Amino acid sequence: MADEPFRTRGSKLETPNSAIVVQDLWYSYGGEVTALRGIDLEIQDGDYVAVIGQNGSGKTTLVKHFNGLLKPARGRVLVKGLDSRTCSGLRDTADLTVGQLAQTVGYVFQNPDHQIFCDTTREELAFGPRNLGLPEAEVRGRVEEALARFDLKEYADRPPAVLGYGLRRKIGVAAVYAMRPRIFILDEPTTGLDWRSTMELMDLIGEMHRRGHTILLVTHDMKLVAAFSQKSLVLRDGQVLAYDETRTVFKHSEVLRDTQIEPPQITQLAKRMVPFGMPDDVLSVEEFYAAYCRLGG
Amino acid sequence: MSFSFDLYVQRRSWLHAVDPRVKLAFVFLGTLLMLAFKNLFVMLLSLVVTHLLIFSAGVPGHKVKWVWKTMLPINILIPTLWVIFYPEGPTVLFQFWFLKVTALSILRGVSLALRLDAIAFICFTWLFTTDQASLVRSLVKLGLPFEWGLVLAIGLRYIPTFYGLYTIVSEAQQARALDLTRGNFFTRVRSYLPILIAMLISALRTSEQLARAMESRALGLPGIQRTCLRDIRFRPADYAYTALLIAIFSFLLTLRFQFGLGTHPLYLF
Amino acid sequence: MTSEINIHDLHFSYPALNSEGEPVPVLKGITLEVERGEFVSVMGPTGVGKTTLCLALNGIVPQSTGGIIRGEVVVAGLNTRQHPVPELASRVGIVFQDPESQFFNMTVEDEVAFGPESLGLDPREIRERVDWALTVVGMSRHRHRSPFQLSGGEKQRVAIASILAMTPRILVLDEPTSGLDPLGKAGVFRVVRELKQRDGMTIVMVEQESEKIAEFSDRVVVLHEGKAVLAGTPDRVFAQVERIHEIGLAVPQVSQLAHLFNTRHSTRYAFTSLEGAYQALVPSETSRVCQASEVFCHSEAAYGR
Repeated sequence: MADEPFRTRGSKLETPNSAIVVQDLWYSYGGEVTALRGIDLEIQDGDYVAVIGQNGSGKTTLVKHFNGLLKPARGRVLVKGLDSRTCSGLRDTADLTVGQLAQTVGYVFQNPDHQIFCDTTREELAFGPRNLGLPEAEVRGRVEEALARFDLKEYADRPPAVLGYGLRRKIGVAAVYAMRPRIFILDEPTTGLDWRSTMELMDLIGEMHRRGHTILLVTHDMKLVAAFSQKSLVLRDGQVLAYDETRTVFKHSEVLRDTQIEPPQITQLAKRMVPFGMPDDVLSVEEFYAAYCRLGG
Repeated sequence: MSFSFDLYVQRRSWLHAVDPRVKLAFVFLGTLLMLAFKNLFVMLLSLVVTHLLIFSAGVPGHKVKWVWKTMLPINILIPTLWVIFYPEGPTVLFQFWFLKVTALSILRGVSLALRLDAIAFICFTWLFTTDQASLVRSLVKLGLPFEWGLVLAIGLRYIPTFYGLYTIVSEAQQARALDLTRGNFFTRVRSYLPILIAMLISALRTSEQLARAMESRALGLPGIQRTCLRDIRFRPADYAYTALLIAIFSFLLTLRFQFGLGTHPLYLF
Repeated sequence: MTSEINIHDLHFSYPALNSEGEPVPVLKGITLEVERGEFVSVMGPTGVGKTTLCLALNGIVPQSTGGIIRGEVVVAGLNTRQHPVPELASRVGIVFQDPESQFFNMTVEDEVAFGPESLGLDPREIRERVDWALTVVGMSRHRHRSPFQLSGGEKQRVAIASILAMTPRILVLDEPTSGLDPLGKAGVFRVVRELKQRDGMTIVMVEQESEKIAEFSDRVVVLHEGKAVLAGTPDRVFAQVERIHEIGLAVPQVSQLAHLFNTRHSTRYAFTSLEGAYQALVPSETSRVCQASEVFCHSEAAYGR
């Protein structure tokens, strides 16, 4: 399923296009609960990876290593920094602080209320860039750009805390966007959003991806995974169960079932109809329709 | 990330079964006794008694060690300060410039530290063997209005949650390159503001939701007296313990004030 | 037969945020009747007033929130403006979105007992209710655990048990699975399925997951800009794919599929579930028989589930 090199322990996974390399990563909370058991991974520049797994599978623990919030108990995590030291520009997170890594890796937390504290949306978006030590003119420029891109101009001078949840969510993402990290980690950004807000946000993320950012989307929503991500990383009990093209992962959906995750309704329908000639990797309603018509059904 | 800000050690022992009100009385009377006496042997005796009680209740040794570890700064600081600032008594052991170290001041300092240890262990005898719900229930039965008891219980319940909230908000703000380590004392304190404000706003939202949840459980139904599933009731043993407590208390108090027992740190009379 | 829930032309505005502000209108004329034992789902964009509507069912709106209200809400025979909230709460139980703020006691058992204790019931009866409620939600083994030892899904199930223990006639679930992981969601929906099968319990569920709405609901109500703009059986409502997308909501994927077929091939599919779609689309024995009487087939697919 997943290519062999990705699964070999301790091998050299770095390539010139690596954005993140994880080598035999182990981590335990409080020395007791082993959250990660020997993870080997390479995420390339410009990848769009959905990170899937039950709570407790190690998803959040893994991605927190990428911006330095957690440091490996065993193994290494290498992230492409803005300045090169090795030939591929990868730096060990163990040598860097969260603040230093924040330049490269942006982390949008699940609950926007855990970040929002400013009097105005403008100030909120300026917080990150200012912490990076950028000159005030640059900060202001980035804030205006983010306000425009996320369609927040009319709320620029209002306190984010009193705005509706959908807007607070967008502000949380925009605030990290303003820091222009190369890599975006989004922890379940669509929880609690209605369909339209979800699509708006996913489109914004898609746009960031098209402009060259690497996207790591931690999510439970399989419909979004099917519709937007190129690759899927499935975790269970602190280990990688699968890491491959999303289509391939959904094709072998016993992997998902293994960790009690259900593929989208349309994928399930197609799978039930495989004996009648339907393909087993249908990811969207349109695909199903096209495949069904081809069957002459 | 699941721990409980709870000193309670879950066991089934005779001491756990004692009504929390009796244990509360023990704390109250015991503290009064410790304040009345000044003799270090009395304090030591109290410590021995409380340790026996605690161990008989099945509390593991590392918990007791933890209390001593926590009290260590006090146990070092108080005798030292006392010796430095309150030299008294005839026997001078050491003198250097303004520092006069006397035997009596050492004894007084040590017995004061031991007094605090004794009071601490009296409290922990109560806290190790009483779960939070029973604790609050005992206060309510002694006259605390139910709503106050509920506020106390909810406060205790949410301490670990808010600690977890602090952790996650701190991580979220640090992920936006917030630097908590730079600058002088004042700069560093100010750098915690983004964390504290976000925490406060989250806490306010949670408290509003909490209020609605409580209302939806019919809290404050007019004309109805609340009942309690796990009520605490005095058993015959509890009456006996109370009587014993009062007897010992009165006896020791009489010894203290009638006969002057234990007013001096070293000599009993 | 009088309905269990009777909402008549309900208008509600929250009080202004500050002294200069205006009251914030949220509900702009909602009329809805729910019969005893019915399962009604409510859908709508974020911020449209779904939670406000739920709170109006046990009187928190307007008694605790303040604000300006017009119209009537009568639940289980009680007018929500004339009876105190705790009294209404004994008839209408609400399970909210956030598991953390609904679990405010120190153990599962204490939490489930809190409601009956507030009702002043005899401890023996409380014990029976607690045992029963914990069994229904499948948390009996966890009765002595503290909130810190439970997952979000488990906490939500305890929240449901805490409400069930008060034996309400009406159960309201306000986005009960939002933010839960797939296992947690499955656990909560399992409980909802169990409750639906019990007689007599009227259920109102606010949800975003249209597939689940299609599975459980007798009726679906869609809110938009403070009003109920669509109402009816799931088949009828989810057939209006374009209108629902306009409002900013999603329909089950199979309903989208049905709509695709219907617009391009003049079929009249109306399935809203996986099973319904499978039955309608698979050429089988039944289907071959059906081909003889096409009208019958299409009607079957249209009204079957």
